[in-house]
Amino acid sequence: MIEVSRHDIVIVGGGAAGLRAAVAATEIDPDVSIALVSKVYPMRSHTVSAEGGAAAVVREDDNFEMHAYDTVKGSDFLADQDVIRTFVEQAPGELTLLEHWGCPWSRNEDGTVATRAFGGMSTKRTWYAADKVGFHMLHTLFQHSLRFDNIVRYDEHFATRLLVDEGTVRGVAALDIRTGVVRVVLGRSLILATGGAGKIFPFTTNGSIKTGDGMSLAYRAGVALKDMEFVQYHPTGLPGTGILITEATRGEGGYLINAEGERFLTTRDYGVGSKAELGPRDMISRAIIQELEAGRGFSGPYGDYLHLDLRHLGEAKIVARLPMVREISKIYIGVDPVHEPIPIRPVVHYMMGGIDTDITAATSLPGLYAAGECASVSLNGANRLGSNSLTECLVFGAAAGRNALSFAKGSSEGSEDALRRQGEEEAARVAALRGKQKGGEKLSRIRGDLHKTMESGCGVYRVQETMDETARTVAQLKGRYADVALEDSSAVFNTELVAALEMGNMLDIAEVVANSAAARNESRGAHTRRDTPNRDDQNFLYHTLCYFDPAGPRLEKKGVTLGHWEPEERKY
Amino acid sequence: MSRNAHPDAMAPSKPGRTRTAPPQLPDQFPFGGRYLAYTLFDLTGILYLLLGFLVLCAVWSLGSGEAAWNGVLERNRSMLYVGFHAIALVGVIFVGIRFFGFFPKAQPPRIGPVKPPPKPVILAMLYALWIGVTAFLSIVLAGGIF
Amino acid sequence: MSDGQQKKTFVVTRFDPDRDEAPRKQSYEIPVQPDWKVLDALNFIKDEVDGTLSYRWSCRMAVCGSCGMMVNGEPRLTCKEALSQYGDTVDVGPLANFPVVRDLVIEADGFMEKLTSVKPWIIRAKERAVEEGPMRQSPAEHEEFKQFSLCINCMLCYSACPVVANEPEFLGPAAIAVGHRYSIDSRDEGAAERNEVFRGEGGVFSCSFANECSEVCPKNVDPAAAVNQAKFNAVIDWATGLVLPRGGDE
Repeated sequence: MIEVSRHDIVIVGGGAAGLRAAVAATEIDPDVSIALVSKVYPMRSHTVSAEGGAAAVVREDDNFEMHAYDTVKGSDFLADQDVIRTFVEQAPGELTLLEHWGCPWSRNEDGTVATRAFGGMSTKRTWYAADKVGFHMLHTLFQHSLRFDNIVRYDEHFATRLLVDEGTVRGVAALDIRTGVVRVVLGRSLILATGGAGKIFPFTTNGSIKTGDGMSLAYRAGVALKDMEFVQYHPTGLPGTGILITEATRGEGGYLINAEGERFLTTRDYGVGSKAELGPRDMISRAIIQELEAGRGFSGPYGDYLHLDLRHLGEAKIVARLPMVREISKIYIGVDPVHEPIPIRPVVHYMMGGIDTDITAATSLPGLYAAGECASVSLNGANRLGSNSLTECLVFGAAAGRNALSFAKGSSEGSEDALRRQGEEEAARVAALRGKQKGGEKLSRIRGDLHKTMESGCGVYRVQETMDETARTVAQLKGRYADVALEDSSAVFNTELVAALEMGNMLDIAEVVANSAAARNESRGAHTRRDTPNRDDQNFLYHTLCYFDPAGPRLEKKGVTLGHWEPEERKY
Repeated sequence: MSRNAHPDAMAPSKPGRTRTAPPQLPDQFPFGGRYLAYTLFDLTGILYLLLGFLVLCAVWSLGSGEAAWNGVLERNRSMLYVGFHAIALVGVIFVGIRFFGFFPKAQPPRIGPVKPPPKPVILAMLYALWIGVTAFLSIVLAGGIF
Repeated sequence: MSDGQQKKTFVVTRFDPDRDEAPRKQSYEIPVQPDWKVLDALNFIKDEVDGTLSYRWSCRMAVCGSCGMMVNGEPRLTCKEALSQYGDTVDVGPLANFPVVRDLVIEADGFMEKLTSVKPWIIRAKERAVEEGPMRQSPAEHEEFKQFSLCINCMLCYSACPVVANEPEFLGPAAIAVGHRYSIDSRDEGAAERNEVFRGEGGVFSCSFANECSEVCPKNVDPAAAVNQAKFNAVIDWATGLVLPRGGDE
């Protein structure tokens, strides 16, 4: 008999968005029972790797209008402007809450919170705690959440299926990685906060856990994934490992230099104007790729690269503001940025797309909410501005928590028998996969081929032919995945089983990314095509919705909410 | 090779949800690599115990007549006794240096409004105090004051 | 990339509670790259040689704290340690002083309980409203606790600590460091509450200042400093309590 536990709200994902949602619901109703289901201990969530900062208007010379416009322009006018309005207005309060909970924000001499410059932001509005902002935010949130007994953690539980009854989401089936048992965790509403899916690409800043699990859960339950063609390449990752070198390096004054010793963003026209290194990420990444293609890169064992030069900042500033960059550079590439430039190249960093949610973090499936990178509330449009996403996790995580609570108060429990049956089906599916010997495919081969095709078809620059090719290849990979053979039949802590389940999710997401990309015949934000290099507002000023269909993904369009700023040429 | 640590080391209050293998001590514990200095530091406790015992014996002998006291003085001249004291001296110096090395960082950044002086200053004060007290006692023992 | 020019042998601890009575060792000889970390070798084994090997990892940039293991008998973050510093044979085992769940995976729930017990959150007599804005904190006040706020909960310090090995109640270096970090934060008013915990069984006075936690800390948090500062504060707090009974400050 499958084990069933019951709560008011189930939250899947223990990063910034999930934890903020849990605390937000608790703030309103201290007695609400919350299940926090996470496939890793919450403090391991990938929020921990964010470095540069979190944006919110706090300075005298700043205002909501400026933050909103910067975000709209950064999004290449694909963001929903009502969402941005809500976001910029709630951002300062959210970061203030974190301050009250102990987040060690870096300070000005007078004791106020310090802010730094960031790409695409017109003034210094990015709050920071040295260059370990995600780490500090995550640990602050997690430790703050520990004070609440009503938040019941299901650590190292991997959610594998949404349980839906009478058209409403009622819980999840989750594999307890420790015991190998699938259990049913029920709630009257459910929040997905599982992060992105960078691991569908070979070269990414993302950790191994970012496999698009929540996106896939929602997609399989019939909820659309929105704007998935927009994959952000961060301009500065370490060659080889893809480890992130924060944009704060440029916010603090770092230069990008080509092999001819030229600060090319100031000497050549890449559309970033006087912003130079502080241009938005899509533009800087394109500029770097163009430099490399023009033969002005350095060559190394992991492909060509450029230099990020911080030497002129001086040791004191690097130690105070960018200690992690220095540590990472020394350990992972053997370079001390105080004395040498850091080798960098663009690297997959963030999915602008995700589970389609409205401004309240609600999805089209009653009772289901989503927040953070796994969601697409349309704050980021076609290109996210650096330091907006940590704040997004808080603003829309809190919204998800509050709205899931009010939904839970007004909803029924559903039929436990039906839900139990679904859980048992899921348990049987997982059990059949564990140590599955029949089949001729190796997990690592499928992963390798997925990586290859995603990089060739959905890179910084795209063309129709390779995008179509990638979509076809991913469909084939899905077939091969059905034939995968596994070695590990043990119940306890079977990481091979987890990896196999994750691979299923990654293939879903890859399919959506490739198909969404192939259908957008224009260049906008991070989706840049060589065959149609211009933006086409006449035909493509819409969000892509992608629905699951056993026959293959089905695409629809959804209008963009403008209202304040009409699309204009995006030039800095 | 490796030996078990306390069977309940780092165990959760409720028994684990699956059977676990018992916690192991670090391979080097107690006499290898990083643990040698700590183990020696801990072992100096035996020296103090012995020293204390010897002092007690001496005090006891004071109450048992002059012959007993002279016996104590006689014993103090034996090579065994002098050797033991030499070892104890090395032990004390070792412990002192080790403890002084750690002491500055054990100072809270602030006690109420009072901030401790910089670490090198604390260290200098500790050594000055140690040398001062040692010198004072040496003078007293040599009959320089009383 | 894998020409297989250089090979190393990895002697890895294996334990499957369903099959093994006790942990055993298994050797894998694999080709390695000069710039690999220890974790890269484990991932190679997992992908190419033996899919049953279990271990935790995620960020591979030394900040998520998942991948702590004993490498040649020393607690290490495997994503941080260059393979080149080791010889032809590398021994990899689960973190010492922890019950072993499987292979290189240790029981972490005990640590989570200890962490929770030190009340690692801001405690204030009166909660501050959002509308009141951020609290002021000077850079000097920030500096006082900054180092101790850098703990990534990787638990290497627990594997190095001789007290943890012998005294199950001991809160241990990381948990105390995190608790102390809040107690000396200028925004916090909860030091007295935490001092109760610190003075209790398994509290700060169980520490014998071996300092090995600080030696192995991959983030230079110096937990030994935190624990011993906490001793100092716990004593001062206790002594102050004798002179000025607690009831007085309500």
